[in-house]
Amino acid sequence: MKRLLLILWLFVFISPVLCGEIQHESSGYKKARETMVSKQIRGRGISDSNVLAAMTAVPRHLFAPPELSSQAYADHPLPIGEGQTISQPYIVALMTESLELAGDERVLEIGTGSGYQAAILAKICKNVYSIEIKPKLYEKAHNTLKKLEIKNVETRRGDGYFGWPEAAPFDCIMITAAIDHIPPPLLKQLKDGGKLILPLGNPFSFQNLVRVTKRGNDYIVKQITGVLFVPMTGYGLEKGKPSNGYDR
Amino acid sequence: MIFLAVFLISLSALTFEVLLTRVFSICQWNHLSFMVISIALFGFAASGTFLSLLETRKKHWSKQLAGTGPVKIFAICYTLTAISSFLILNQIPLDYFRLPLEPIQTLYLLAAYITLSLPFFFSGLIIALAYAFWPDRTALIYLAGMGGSALGAVIPVPLLPFLGEGKLIILSALIPLLILPCGKRKLNRKFSPNPKIILLKRICPWLISFVIVWISTVFIFSSDFRVEIKSSPYKALSQILQFPNTEITETHNSLWGRIDKVKSDYIRFAPGLSMKFPGNIPVQSAIFKDGDAPFVLYNFSDSADPTFSRFTLPYAGYLLTPQPEHVLIIQHGGGTGIACALSANAQKITIVESNLQVAKITQKHYKWPVINQNPRVFLAQSAKRFQVIHIDNWGSSIPGAAALNQEYLLTIDAFKEYISHLTEDGILMISRKLLLPPSDALRLWATAYESLISIGLKKPENHIRIIRNWDIYTLIVSFHPFQDDSVIKNFARSNNFDWVYYPDATPDQVNRFNVFDQPYHYQEISRLLNAYQTGNSKTFFNNYLLDVNPQTDGRPFPSRFLKWSRIKDIYKSTGSRLYSLVMSGEIVIAVVFVEAILISTILILLPLFAFAKGSEKIPASHILYFFAVGVGFMFVEIFFIKFYTLLFGDPVISFTIVLASLLIFSAAGGYFSHFIGRRGLRYALIALIVTLIFVFYRIDILIYSILGFTVILRYFIAIGILFPIGFLLGVPFPLGMRYFLKNPVERSYAWAINGCASVLTSIISAQLALCFGISTLAGFATGAYIMVFCSTGKLVKT
Repeated sequence: MKRLLLILWLFVFISPVLCGEIQHESSGYKKARETMVSKQIRGRGISDSNVLAAMTAVPRHLFAPPELSSQAYADHPLPIGEGQTISQPYIVALMTESLELAGDERVLEIGTGSGYQAAILAKICKNVYSIEIKPKLYEKAHNTLKKLEIKNVETRRGDGYFGWPEAAPFDCIMITAAIDHIPPPLLKQLKDGGKLILPLGNPFSFQNLVRVTKRGNDYIVKQITGVLFVPMTGYGLEKGKPSNGYDR
Repeated sequence: MIFLAVFLISLSALTFEVLLTRVFSICQWNHLSFMVISIALFGFAASGTFLSLLETRKKHWSKQLAGTGPVKIFAICYTLTAISSFLILNQIPLDYFRLPLEPIQTLYLLAAYITLSLPFFFSGLIIALAYAFWPDRTALIYLAGMGGSALGAVIPVPLLPFLGEGKLIILSALIPLLILPCGKRKLNRKFSPNPKIILLKRICPWLISFVIVWISTVFIFSSDFRVEIKSSPYKALSQILQFPNTEITETHNSLWGRIDKVKSDYIRFAPGLSMKFPGNIPVQSAIFKDGDAPFVLYNFSDSADPTFSRFTLPYAGYLLTPQPEHVLIIQHGGGTGIACALSANAQKITIVESNLQVAKITQKHYKWPVINQNPRVFLAQSAKRFQVIHIDNWGSSIPGAAALNQEYLLTIDAFKEYISHLTEDGILMISRKLLLPPSDALRLWATAYESLISIGLKKPENHIRIIRNWDIYTLIVSFHPFQDDSVIKNFARSNNFDWVYYPDATPDQVNRFNVFDQPYHYQEISRLLNAYQTGNSKTFFNNYLLDVNPQTDGRPFPSRFLKWSRIKDIYKSTGSRLYSLVMSGEIVIAVVFVEAILISTILILLPLFAFAKGSEKIPASHILYFFAVGVGFMFVEIFFIKFYTLLFGDPVISFTIVLASLLIFSAAGGYFSHFIGRRGLRYALIALIVTLIFVFYRIDILIYSILGFTVILRYFIAIGILFPIGFLLGVPFPLGMRYFLKNPVERSYAWAINGCASVLTSIISAQLALCFGISTLAGFATGAYIMVFCSTGKLVKT
């Protein structure tokens, strides 16, 4: 009897965790999304109204694996399988805001991943072209975007290194895959004055962003750390002194 | 039969432990293999506690277990649990990064932990039973246990290349079944009067063993996916394998790591490549070690030749030494070093690679000789001078994961060696990832600075330059002061690179093309230079957020930056995200240590409370004695494993040789203890303490003096040093078991205490080495044996 009870208890305890299913939009998710935008995004200084509206509108939980959909609006990245992640909501917002989009841009995204970033971009700019090399991820993201009836995103399974020459030039390029150099073909597909953005660092660890602006023959790279990096180095770090950044 | 059982079970358990550390290194990251050590030793400790507790529940347990029958049953249990725990570990979808997010992951981790500790529990049970019931033969049991363990440490070396980790785990788990035909089993008719039951009891072990062997044979001879070790999906190899038309073309298993060569059209490695590069980079293949740290091999062709590397940061060094006569490339991941040297039309290139398989593959690919040797030993033996020394070392794919890695390529002592091998106009180059907050670049600049000071240069800052792009920096060190910076200035300007440091740099020159909110790296290096010049460098290092002290051979952990005293500030500075800390090897150690303390406390205290009900209490001096013996032995073992890494050039070789040697010599010492009385123990302890004090103060001098010797001589001397220490280490435990303990319960309990002490020491010693240097471990070992000596005062008299 005792054993039976133990088995029953284990079954009751484990089954809800194992048998997660895709959660559809509910008032709970909507509320969670609004809280996410107000606390994690606006609260950290993101002020672009288009970005805030897009982050409020796109149901992030539909891009997360079902078993983690309850965590979709939390302040951290989410593993989505195959060693991939959906970036932390703040990083998605910061990357989007850093492109300074006005609404009529054509944006190329390298690494569709879950499709969440493409969905956010689609709410703000004219056309989004998104490339994913990994077949499983491509299929999943493509289907999710289709289900959500997002019309202005074109997806393709292929090698992002060479960009999308038929649709070039682009006003903005966003790279969400890990790279050690910026592919020369992508730089060629960037308009003069265009912006290219990519995150640095491991998605689970500290991340900052790099924004490249093409100016004639030169490329200016700006590191955007947002509020995630508190520059508590040097004197600001010394014990007993306030660590309010650089005070030199 | 019992000696054979102890020998075989010790052999198998140690092989299993060594192979599990390999499995964890491949599946996850190297620092997680610490979990294996704790799991194994806990299994052992728990077995002692279990037997001690048994006394309080079953009064006749000693009669029931003091035969060969139970030993055989436990051996079968060991085999069964060893194989099944490995298969479970390999199949459960445990994802380290999902642990804080999904409750089920905690269950997976717990399942892995419990199932993996079971085989060690059963092996510990056999050894503990042997000590408990044959006290007069303690020395022989010790000899069998240590001898078996020594052989178990060595077995994977020759077999791993042929079988791989999975198959070898299964094969080695079968070894203890060899005891089944040995010894006559005396059946206790009081407990089993029915002849049918007697027959069943005789047949059952054979039947179970037959089934186990049959299933194992199927696993070993088929290419079953269940025994294949898969890399973490977050590792570089797993990532690249998801690309189309990508395949592993070669795999080499060894104790030195699993080497996979991958062919793909999508490998494009060119760190530090300028955005001004207009062409195509060559097609590449890559070599991965344990699924990470890619080393690329370029397939040069007419359309894609090595000249792409002229647009990379490390090429700056070659502009200062055009067409160098002789280039030395020290390979440790990466791969652009060879392209740079070729592109610069180097007249002669010497490549040194410490991994045998990587050296072979590189040599075959480029059709040049590659020297397979530890670079530090190569330099110690070589009188040659080079115009360029290029260290191709980029680190792990996840920051913090390499924090525990003991590396001798980026220490002050290594820099001195490099500089002494440069020609008059020679330069040293290292390229690494640019991290925020400034850490790696700051440490390497300080390392170069202090090494130049130590060779007598007055103004080291004039010998060091650093340039960067958005995520890579290149450090250039020259033997003579840099006279003209215009070459690098033009190179940086035309490729949109920035200076990080040169003596007359101004803030606007260091933040032009790759703009930070502030030129953090420049500011910190300038501040450190100022601190050096005003004699305040210690204050700088003490006050800095991270540990950026230059590393020495005594504390060679160049990827370790964590300061425990500033953990709160570090957490804040990286966005208050727990994940940033979790991947740090040190945090993993801390978590495992806390967990180890909790479980050890339970394992040690539980029998004490149980004893209080009626039986005689175990004296505190006994507890102290066996605890300190466990602590001391483990400190000595880990000290030599870490210390000899420089000498043997590889932590795995060091681990295998030190472990095998110390265990064999301890076994001899244990056997010798059979012939000495109580008083002999104190003389042995005095001799051991004196030897350890000598080691603590003098061994580094000895090691440096033999570093340049031939391989055989080096190994011979190193093993020779281990002989007296290992021999003396083998005396206290069996003597204590024989003379100080009265009954099987006490002996089981002593076994548990010894196991717990070993667990805690194995974990804490890694942290102590990181914080205070490797030699402190010898100091702690000496302290532990002084405690042993003190606790013997009363015991020897009684």
